[in-house]
Amino acid sequence: MRLAGRAGGDEVRGLPSANASLHVGIIAGLAFLLSPLLGCSNDPYPPAKEGEKVLYSSFIDAPRTLDPATAYTTRAHAITGAVYDTLLKYHFLKRPLELMPGLVVALPERTELGDGRVRYRFELREDLLYADDECFRLAGLDRTTREVVSQDVAFQLSRIADPEVGSPVIEPFSNILGFAEFGQRLTARREADPKFILRPVHEQYAAVGGIAGVVTPSIQVLEITLHRAYPQIKYWFAMEFTTPVPWEAVLVYDGKEGRPRFDDHPVGTGPYVLVEYDKQARYVLERSPNWYGVRHPEWKAPSAVFPSEGDEEDRRAGRLEYAGRSLPFIDRVEVRREKESIPRFNKFLQGYYDASGIIKESFDKVIQEDALSPEMVARGISLGKSVALDVFYIGFNLDDGVVGRGRGERSRKLRQAMSLAIDVEEYLRIFMNGRGVLAQSPIPPGIYGYRPEYKNPYTRVDLDRARTLMVEAGYPGGIDPTTGEALRLTFDSYDTSTAGMTQVRFYTSAWKQIGIDVRIEATNYNQFQEKLRNGAYQVFQFGWVADYPDPENFFFLLWSEMGKSKFGGPNGANFSNAAFDQLFESMKSRENGPRRMEEIREMTAILEHERPWIELFHREDYSLYHGWVRNVKPMGISAPTYQYRDIDPARRKADRLDWNKPIVWPAYALFAAGVLIVLPGIRTYLKERQ
Amino acid sequence: MGAYVIRRLAYGVGVIVGVLFLLFLLFFTVTQPDDIARRALGEKVSVEVIEQWKVNHGYDRPLWPWQDWDDNLLFEHYRRMLTFDFGVSDADDSPIIDRIRAGVGPSLSLTVPLLVLGILGGIPLSLLVAFFRETYIDRTGVFLCVLAMSVSIILYIVGAQYLIGKVLRWYPISGFDADLLMLPRFLALPIIVGLLSGIGGDVRFYRTVFLEESTRDFIRTARAKGASEPRIMTHHVLRNALIPILTRVVLAIPFLFTGALLLEAFFGIPGLGSMTFDAIQANDFSTLRTMVFIGSLAFVLGQIATDLSYGLVDPRVRFE
Repeated sequence: MRLAGRAGGDEVRGLPSANASLHVGIIAGLAFLLSPLLGCSNDPYPPAKEGEKVLYSSFIDAPRTLDPATAYTTRAHAITGAVYDTLLKYHFLKRPLELMPGLVVALPERTELGDGRVRYRFELREDLLYADDECFRLAGLDRTTREVVSQDVAFQLSRIADPEVGSPVIEPFSNILGFAEFGQRLTARREADPKFILRPVHEQYAAVGGIAGVVTPSIQVLEITLHRAYPQIKYWFAMEFTTPVPWEAVLVYDGKEGRPRFDDHPVGTGPYVLVEYDKQARYVLERSPNWYGVRHPEWKAPSAVFPSEGDEEDRRAGRLEYAGRSLPFIDRVEVRREKESIPRFNKFLQGYYDASGIIKESFDKVIQEDALSPEMVARGISLGKSVALDVFYIGFNLDDGVVGRGRGERSRKLRQAMSLAIDVEEYLRIFMNGRGVLAQSPIPPGIYGYRPEYKNPYTRVDLDRARTLMVEAGYPGGIDPTTGEALRLTFDSYDTSTAGMTQVRFYTSAWKQIGIDVRIEATNYNQFQEKLRNGAYQVFQFGWVADYPDPENFFFLLWSEMGKSKFGGPNGANFSNAAFDQLFESMKSRENGPRRMEEIREMTAILEHERPWIELFHREDYSLYHGWVRNVKPMGISAPTYQYRDIDPARRKADRLDWNKPIVWPAYALFAAGVLIVLPGIRTYLKERQ
Repeated sequence: MGAYVIRRLAYGVGVIVGVLFLLFLLFFTVTQPDDIARRALGEKVSVEVIEQWKVNHGYDRPLWPWQDWDDNLLFEHYRRMLTFDFGVSDADDSPIIDRIRAGVGPSLSLTVPLLVLGILGGIPLSLLVAFFRETYIDRTGVFLCVLAMSVSIILYIVGAQYLIGKVLRWYPISGFDADLLMLPRFLALPIIVGLLSGIGGDVRFYRTVFLEESTRDFIRTARAKGASEPRIMTHHVLRNALIPILTRVVLAIPFLFTGALLLEAFFGIPGLGSMTFDAIQANDFSTLRTMVFIGSLAFVLGQIATDLSYGLVDPRVRFE
């Protein structure tokens, strides 16, 4: 009895213990299963401050650099365009694009100096300030900003000329008198005097005498003298390459002793400041209180107020209602990293990104009969369509021993044959839902020199002709006579995703039809760029988005002086053709007119025959915007537009709440199912115990 | 015990030295520095460019000490790894140690709750199915476990993003925010996926351990004494099954620092797993080498910690 009692005592002590465990388990299970109800939310953002206007966007990979002298990608310009203001700007609404004053009082005065020399005089506005940054204090000032002076633009031009900076746009600026000589003097001095390079870089520039054609008569005035006519120079002053840069930032942000690199820490004059930059996760731009448009709204400076001239479409879209209002409208831009396209698009549909492209997987759901589906219309989403000022192409490295110029007519016929095997229309249908215009030449619609009637005979599919050309090229049936096997080439791609690889395989499969075995080498974008720089490639695919709306900005991609391997320029095909170069040099300094059109036609004919590229397509952009986003108008080029956008935060908040109510009954159902499974067993156990 | 610990540490150091040598053979001899450069720069790059790249990345030295005692890759490899001076990424020249520092927090924020919740969920569930052994609850539990183990984690990820993130709208589909108020929201979905994909294996393992323990003589004695089944399970079976449980848990702890490769990559968590994933995609050998070394270090430390922890949970274990 005592034993039983003790056993019973055990049981008495044990049962509550078991019950307690059971209770804890049940409570924990309940808490876990019902956690969706406990304040859960799919909102990826903390609550914005009341009344604050935040624009939400995403990026796939962080840019390699934000240095305005070297950043040359659209992903970099998304940041540098907002942080660095430029001397000239594009009119936001006018089409074709038109330049207007930015940081300067008026468009530059142009003076012919004789001997072909031309001078441009820029006058900066007074009282322009840099964004607040510690670099100024660390460089010896007693404050965190300073006034922008013309010498800062001269400093930035010197940086572009400095070979150690590695700017990709040295060539267009070498039209400035003494530009190349400055770089040479700098290099010579650095090599001659090892101590020289230890001096601050702005002192080095001053010590070698600056660029002869860049003069600053006063802190507001900048004079640029060109040694030859180059009308496109003005477009470069609408890009961040020529933005004023404070020497203090370059000096302080050297990446040493815990300081960030200037590559990752921009200090500029723009309407926004980069307040957070985590390459792996997110970046945040905030409205700069130092921007002249914010500090001096009374100036009504052309690029600091919303434009009042627009077309009928602008009027219909309500953009002109903003005419004359001070910019910017958005207080903060929050950009999150989204590597995968499907989650990114789904978050847009949930209202957590304000704008989006359309992913292939959802294209049919979103677009029906070339218009928005009723479901999208009901959500207040709008569709923006525009042909981008770009060109996508497959390039051949003409320095290569097999596909390049070394084999003369053989390699030309090989390139022609490969051209005739690619069905671009099919590519667009399969991979881009038909969103693209077939490219016949480098020039896209909307750029002077585009001829809608021109059809390139090598941008259509003709496998019989391609096979004949392969025989003429010395590869009958695609067999390389030196190996007795299929001709083997490599295709370099910077897209390692499954989708990207599938797209490249489309080309390699097409070439297989004419017997060529093309292997894919996929790396990331930076390594791809490195390969191009080093000439380690045969075939590649690339695209080009116009910097400015001029045919020169497309044909220069094939100018020999832009050769990638020799000069580090964007001519990845390393195309070098004397006749083409001569025509290009004449065309680029000529105003639009019949002679220029004829030169463009002749250049196009050379490209048609030589085939350094297989022209693929010009993208047709389909962009989706939520109803709360205002003032979206694609410019077709990589130009900053954050400051023009506006949002209606109240509508966004209401729509997000409406669209994202959690559906919680499955949690209850799951819990009930668990209970139903376990409960009979527990009942049986308890009965057995009794 | 002191002597035992010193001996174990000495073994650990030996293993690390060996692992580093294997890493060296793998990344520098089987894969020559020229191959690393060519993988980064391309197959047809000129010799001059390869040489310059090797100089920039420290691969220009001779491989072995007998080629140059003062300046060779083997010693440099050991020096760098053992002093945690990992150099720069082969892909984008950013300092690897900075990326590790930035990534360890996000990784731990995912892996620690995953481990803790895995234990807290797995052990009670295992006890439950073991408690109801040979009943329909046991059979249903084992069936569900096998089912859970059979499904690819990728399917869990895509399915959870669609079902929980998009359709049910419980949590964000992907993303990360280190803010403490926002963090649980972003971690919920990867944790649910991690638990679902791991719990099948855990429950089956723990169940086997518990069933084995529940047939021991002392359990029969407890039952004969009249102890209740719940008490037997929680007080006698669970306590005596702690050694295999501990082995599994303590071994997992060091790997918390290396992150969860697929979960981080697909949910956009900027941790070390995501960094390793990016390094694999980008042929970033210096980063991969570092992550393999850290993984080995974690494994060795985990082994030592496991051995030492036995003594804490089982007084019969003596360190000799």
